[in-house]
Amino acid sequence: MTTKLILVIDDEEPIQKVVSLSLQMEADWQIICASSGIEGVCKAKVHQPDAILLDVMMPDLDGISTFERLNNNDQTQTIPVILLTAKTGTAEKRLFQKIGVTGVITKPFNPLTLASQMAKLLGWQL
Amino acid sequence: MSQRPIDLLVTRLNVSLMTSDDGACEFAFWQEVVNNQPVTTSCQTLLPDVLGILVADSSGCVLAVRAGRVIGIVTRQDLLNVIAHKSNWEMLCLAQVMTHPVITIAQSEIQAVSSLTQWFDRHQVSYLPVVDGHHQLVGLIEQKQLLLTANLKKTEVQINQQHQRAQLFAEITLKIRQSLQLKEILQTTVEEVQKLLDADRVLIYQVLSDGTGVATSEAVKVPYSAILGASFPEEVFPKDYQVLYAQGRVQAIADVHSPNSGLADCLVGFIEQWGVNSKLIVPIVHPQSPEQLSEDSSPARSNRLWGLLIAHQCRSPRQWTDSELELMQQLADQISIALSQSQMLEYLEERVNSRTAELTQANKALQQEIQDRKQVVVALRKSEEQLRLITNNLPVLIAYVDTQQCYRFNNQAYDYWLGYSPTELYGSSIKTVTEPSYYENIRPHIEATLGGKQVTYESELTFKDGRRRSVSGSYIPHCEPLDNGHSTINGFFALTTDISERKAIERMKDEFIAVVSHELRTPLTSLHGSLKLIATGRLGNLSDQGQQMLAVADESTDRLVRLVNNVLDLQRIESGEVTMESCLCNAADLCAQAAEAMRPMAQQHNIQICTELYPLRIWADPDYIVQTLTNLIGYAIKFSAFGTTILLSVEACETTKHISSHPLQSESSSSNSALFCVKDSGQGIPADKLASIFERFQQVDSSDSRKKGGTGLGLTICRKIIEQHGGTIWAESRVGHGSCFYFTVPLSRHQPIETS
Repeated sequence: MTTKLILVIDDEEPIQKVVSLSLQMEADWQIICASSGIEGVCKAKVHQPDAILLDVMMPDLDGISTFERLNNNDQTQTIPVILLTAKTGTAEKRLFQKIGVTGVITKPFNPLTLASQMAKLLGWQL
Repeated sequence: MSQRPIDLLVTRLNVSLMTSDDGACEFAFWQEVVNNQPVTTSCQTLLPDVLGILVADSSGCVLAVRAGRVIGIVTRQDLLNVIAHKSNWEMLCLAQVMTHPVITIAQSEIQAVSSLTQWFDRHQVSYLPVVDGHHQLVGLIEQKQLLLTANLKKTEVQINQQHQRAQLFAEITLKIRQSLQLKEILQTTVEEVQKLLDADRVLIYQVLSDGTGVATSEAVKVPYSAILGASFPEEVFPKDYQVLYAQGRVQAIADVHSPNSGLADCLVGFIEQWGVNSKLIVPIVHPQSPEQLSEDSSPARSNRLWGLLIAHQCRSPRQWTDSELELMQQLADQISIALSQSQMLEYLEERVNSRTAELTQANKALQQEIQDRKQVVVALRKSEEQLRLITNNLPVLIAYVDTQQCYRFNNQAYDYWLGYSPTELYGSSIKTVTEPSYYENIRPHIEATLGGKQVTYESELTFKDGRRRSVSGSYIPHCEPLDNGHSTINGFFALTTDISERKAIERMKDEFIAVVSHELRTPLTSLHGSLKLIATGRLGNLSDQGQQMLAVADESTDRLVRLVNNVLDLQRIESGEVTMESCLCNAADLCAQAAEAMRPMAQQHNIQICTELYPLRIWADPDYIVQTLTNLIGYAIKFSAFGTTILLSVEACETTKHISSHPLQSESSSSNSALFCVKDSGQGIPADKLASIFERFQQVDSSDSRKKGGTGLGLTICRKIIEQHGGTIWAESRVGHGSCFYFTVPLSRHQPIETS
């Protein structure tokens, strides 16, 4: 199994650290982090990650807008995006599913199962 | 002063007595009987001349006089006899045929009619010349004329007497009719009868109920002693005598001392103390009243002996005449009438007194009621003023609307807010004074309220300054109970509150909660993740105590996360951000999903989830129904004992049947619904907590949240979800016997209920 490159877009540095450590520990994936939507879109274009873990609530450019930008860009539109969100409501989950994200993982997540959750959503084998 | 009837009566009686006196009518007698210009001639007058005088004067006789003295008399009969039997009668003179000497009577001897009549009878003559002291002729009395006149006088006297008695009787009758005072009537009667009969004593003896008697009225001449007031023992007038008198017996005893009087010796002795020589007794009977007759149906006793009217003659024995007896009887009858009238008067007075007392009482009650009503009116007016003062100063639109949707009351706020004065609005239709769009908005609420439902709604209203304001309206029907147990709606009370500020605050609150929740969740996520990673031990080993503390921190973090999630959920539902995306779904499937989702948790508690599911089509948002079911199952697991069973069921029901028994229902409906039930056999909920457990942070035991890791918001979220579906949620429980959580969701109208 080749090592996967995961782009984590979250304005919260502690979250970046926990996610990075969790995914490295549990799946040995490589992690790159972006602290905003704009930065994330740029890094996605540049690094072409295997998947993007995208926070929804961010200043400037929120997760939904960031996803739309990724989705509207030829270079990034094929990259699967999993939303990482504190918005756990039924209505929001429905919204996220409608816009075509690969999956939704709610905060707070379990760092020990985060990688397996992602793999399940992405159809990867760990 | 006007004369009393009794005085008139007495006067007339006196006049009658005088005219009946012989001496009083003598003067009239002289004029009417004595011819003071008799036909006279000389005794030498030839018979043809005498005949001529008789014919010319139509006289019955001719007197032959000489020097004023009567020397002979010839009657018309004598003359006719001579003419018939003597052929030479024309040659005869008066002296040859006249009767002489002539029987005369001195003027001084004429005293009374009776003596004159005797004079004629004694001398067997038909004509009686009257002479004065000098034997001079002064008149002639004709026997025929005397008798005629005497008879006339006698008849006149009799008629006068009858007339006088009739008058007396009429007067007494009139008195009885005019007066209702029995005592006065009785006294007048005895006085007048005493005078009329010239009796020495007239009295009324009343028979008392115990057989004894008493003299109640009396008129007695001096010097005879009075009986008035004296009581008589029963022996004086025994019962058998009373019966006889009651049947109409009268008794006229000319002489009480006579052996034929019929009186017992002892009784004669008894009455002797009052000097009675003769007595006349008539009964005063009193017809019994219908009530008395019904008590004693014996015809013999239809008349009750009330008493006796008694006349006494003391100076001598007296032969009582029939007319006197008759008069006494008639007066006794009148007294009887007076008694009836008196009894009726007594009865009427009693009735009047009784009625007066009742009326006085009623009047008092009426006065009191009027007073009470006045006080009530004053209190009402005061209350109304206070109410108006209060309502006018409340920052709320308050109105009363009748069934025609016309305003009958508005407070001053209508003027302040909308620019309509209460006076202007009175009687106006809501439709005509509100903006059309607003009326269309509230019309269904008005109609529902006039249908008997209490309605609360929120809307927007344009104030007189042009600003749009959020308002909350409450319509409360005015129901008036009817006698038949139903009620009628007379109108409704409308309360409209400006909730713009509240809405703004709510929006701020919602935003605040959203932000805070997110801001809380973010560090929580880091904290939670970090703790989990540390707990793996891959980042270094911790001591046992360190591991324990880590577990405490991890558990608390989980709870905090749930709390934040619930707060966020509730805020979203309440703020209306969430809309239920209802669709046709199978209630049984939703239950199965929820049961499946909760099975791992149940297994941890060694609790079995059983289901009784009927495939029912409901119109609902499946995600939210599953969320509600999982919440309820989660509670059931938490509060159930280890190793017990939870029952999850769904079935069809008539909504009203179930709703009526639970406390949260605000309106009834008769539509069909799916009835979901989560039943546990846990510790149960006290009755006084059942209504409040669906409110925020209301838990049966405040320590529950700590023990069971609850947030106090789960059931509130469930209620909000079910209410948004048009259903109802409630709980039934008995402490120590477990709880049942029910909720209803309307069945789809397009699908029939499928039952197994």
